[in-house]
Amino acid sequence: MSQVLTTPPAVGAPRPWKFPEAVTTRTSVGAPVHVFDRPGQYVATVRVTIAMPLIAEPRELEGVATIMSRTLDEGTELHSANEFAAALERHGAAYGVDVSSDALHVEISVPVSHLAPAVELLAEAITRPAFNQADVGRHVTIRLGEINQERANAGYRAREAFAAHLFDASTRRSRPTAGRPDTIRPLTNVEVADFYRNNIGPERAEILFAGDATGVDVAGIIDAAFSNWTSSAGTALETPEPIYLPGNRVVLVDRPGSVQSQLLIGCAGPDRRDPAWGAAAVANHVVGGTITSRVDTVLREEKGYTYGTRTSFAAPRKGGTFSLGGAVRTEVTGAAIGDALRILREARDGLTEQEVQEAKDSLIRTAPLRYEQADSVAQQVGSNIANGVPVDFADTYLTKIAATTAAEATDAYRRYVDTDGLLVVVVGEAKDVRPQLESLDLGDLIELS
Amino acid sequence: MPLTYPIAEQTLDNGLRVVVSSDRAVPIVAVNLWYDVGSRHEPPGLTGFAHLFEHLMFQGSRNVASGQHFSLLETAGASLNASTFFDRTNYFESLPSGGLDLALWLEADRMGYLLDAVNQENLDNQRDVVKEEKRQSYDNRPYGDSYERLVRLAFPEGHPYAHMTIGSMADLDAASVEDVHAFFRKYYGPNNAVLTIVGDVSTDDAFDAAKRYFGHLPAIPTPPPAPDGTIGPMTGVERDDVESDVPSDLITMMFRLPVDGTPELDAAGLALDILAAGQSGRLNRRLVRDEQIAQSVSGGALPLIGGVSFGTLTGIASDGIDLQKVEDALLEEIEKLAADGVTSEELATVQAQAERDWLEQLATCAGRADEISHYALLFGDANRINTRIDQVQAVTVEQVQAAAQKWIRAEGRVQVTYRRSESGDQE
Repeated sequence: MSQVLTTPPAVGAPRPWKFPEAVTTRTSVGAPVHVFDRPGQYVATVRVTIAMPLIAEPRELEGVATIMSRTLDEGTELHSANEFAAALERHGAAYGVDVSSDALHVEISVPVSHLAPAVELLAEAITRPAFNQADVGRHVTIRLGEINQERANAGYRAREAFAAHLFDASTRRSRPTAGRPDTIRPLTNVEVADFYRNNIGPERAEILFAGDATGVDVAGIIDAAFSNWTSSAGTALETPEPIYLPGNRVVLVDRPGSVQSQLLIGCAGPDRRDPAWGAAAVANHVVGGTITSRVDTVLREEKGYTYGTRTSFAAPRKGGTFSLGGAVRTEVTGAAIGDALRILREARDGLTEQEVQEAKDSLIRTAPLRYEQADSVAQQVGSNIANGVPVDFADTYLTKIAATTAAEATDAYRRYVDTDGLLVVVVGEAKDVRPQLESLDLGDLIELS
Repeated sequence: MPLTYPIAEQTLDNGLRVVVSSDRAVPIVAVNLWYDVGSRHEPPGLTGFAHLFEHLMFQGSRNVASGQHFSLLETAGASLNASTFFDRTNYFESLPSGGLDLALWLEADRMGYLLDAVNQENLDNQRDVVKEEKRQSYDNRPYGDSYERLVRLAFPEGHPYAHMTIGSMADLDAASVEDVHAFFRKYYGPNNAVLTIVGDVSTDDAFDAAKRYFGHLPAIPTPPPAPDGTIGPMTGVERDDVESDVPSDLITMMFRLPVDGTPELDAAGLALDILAAGQSGRLNRRLVRDEQIAQSVSGGALPLIGGVSFGTLTGIASDGIDLQKVEDALLEEIEKLAADGVTSEELATVQAQAERDWLEQLATCAGRADEISHYALLFGDANRINTRIDQVQAVTVEQVQAAAQKWIRAEGRVQVTYRRSESGDQE
């Protein structure tokens, strides 16, 4: 018979864990192929990551990379858009593309039993797109509709305003990845095909497989599918360093009818080249990375201002950001920002040994969960490639975290947060929020509609 | 062919059903509890209570301080959360296997002794947090109240599925600490739950640990069953037309569907998939690709256990296109499917998609544990996770057409439309 235990039972030491290892080969056209054999993962992800820095887009046609990416599968030299989708989905596959500031990812997830025919279709989309004007025009229209949806979304509006006011206008990331109406409208299949020709090719690509490879010649299947890929696009341009705008400032985006204020508060942050990248992650975990962090302990659990906020250090290939994001009740917007800024600033005075140890334990011990599914391995490796770090970067990162002291975590945080000022973005009912912001006296207030 | 995930099951003396699926290939373990209480159990005046507990369950219990549930598990490397649905509530964590005892102890302490820690202060605080959740997830986003409007039309007043899990803020405001305590005492006990353990632990050790931490908890009086929601297909059309400041005009139709666990529900779900799933679905081909009257279409079935399920179809009109055109096209496709049926190729495609979805769901210990709890609690048969794909594959084109003819019809639906207000003003 069991008894009531009044104190928590001890936690046994975790089994040692390393990021899954890849077998790396090359296709006959030169693209590296990384195969992550994950026994028991019956749905595989095949991901093609292609270096595609957005600075390659002409300024007046921003979004062309996105429209190009979205129309790869909308008709190929061999299949119409409807035929292609039917063929792929008949194999149980799902297809997707993702455009970031540095790379294009094109991928399928598919039961391993249907791998070969699905990879052939993936290769067909990447290497033989048709770019018919009817399909490109349709995607331009869809993108314009999507912009309307984005404008109605408080979270999106906050991210857009944050980028526009954190980065100098000469930095591509100050503007939306997928373009704006005036840069999208002029696009036809001519610009899209040009962009494809100049920017997509095997010299810029790496191909990943993650899944149960038992008895399957994965590298052979991938090589066969991509063997005819030729392109005059050489290697990609290097992404330039971003230029940040310093100083304290407040941007209020009026969103009439809002019942909450969407907040995004932040500044410049490190990227993965910075030796303090791991220490910064530890500091973030303490300050605002979880529900038990300093920020939510006050904003959610003590005050009930919010369903939840989170902070993060995030970075693409070059130049990172620190930010605190979340939604708070309109009436307490000023109070919530005041509390948040106080907590962010007080963290500069030092994170405790206990806080840092708990953050390190959490970050290190959750790693096997994060990469349990084949698809999450492919996602991580694809972003490693896009970010210019080794495919097994997770191991380096975790080693750095394990070695981080409380002083180092505090230092990493102090180097960025509130050093050159903080940008405060608020998306909400301006007439109710403005007086609350003015009384906080946070610097110049810019109001947008 | 069935899948081969191992399933072992025992029931403790206090009625707790424990299911174990050992998997030594990974260094982690998933713990998953389904309580047989969801929004369908909530009587009038107490809506939102099952979900409120999803919050209170993290505020401490007899031997656990407020916030400690999260901090102890996070430090042990856990990913954890909870969810509330029409049919049940679910509490879960995955973590390195050395933390199994900790996870079970925490779950047992709040199953047995939560009320020691539920007081006016944390009730008030979590009520505020729930209100912010509702503002964030429903009120502050375009179309955020569409499901609330649809279930109100699709089911009669007082029907177990006629209100959403978030509930009414007026009900929550009116709740006293004693109301909250009474709700807990009624539904939260070992004999009204399933505990599933999946991952890096032997079957015997898992059962021993379950007994060690849960064995002493007393059973509760058998909770009252949820009201019977059995109801047939819709027999008319009900509309809710909203004019507001939305970015694009949108229509969502809702249909009642057969109860979960039946071939008829699988067939109806596949019919909706043939219409709305993926890029090759009929609606995407016609409305988005060919006629370009819609920016996007979506839809599918939501399986439910209480006598009836429901399914939806949604279309967002292209800019400058009258939403009526989208509605007309949706209805035409619905009637065409009912009249002419589906091809074997179309059915094979959505079955292949369902197979991938299912394999992905089972690809993590957490996902497997969740489905085991699901089938053990609602169907008394955890092994259904291994035969689920076969059940879906067994559905025939005749069954799809028959289910669609009965349940998915133009003349048996409810719908909500959102149109941009002419003036551009807010509601």
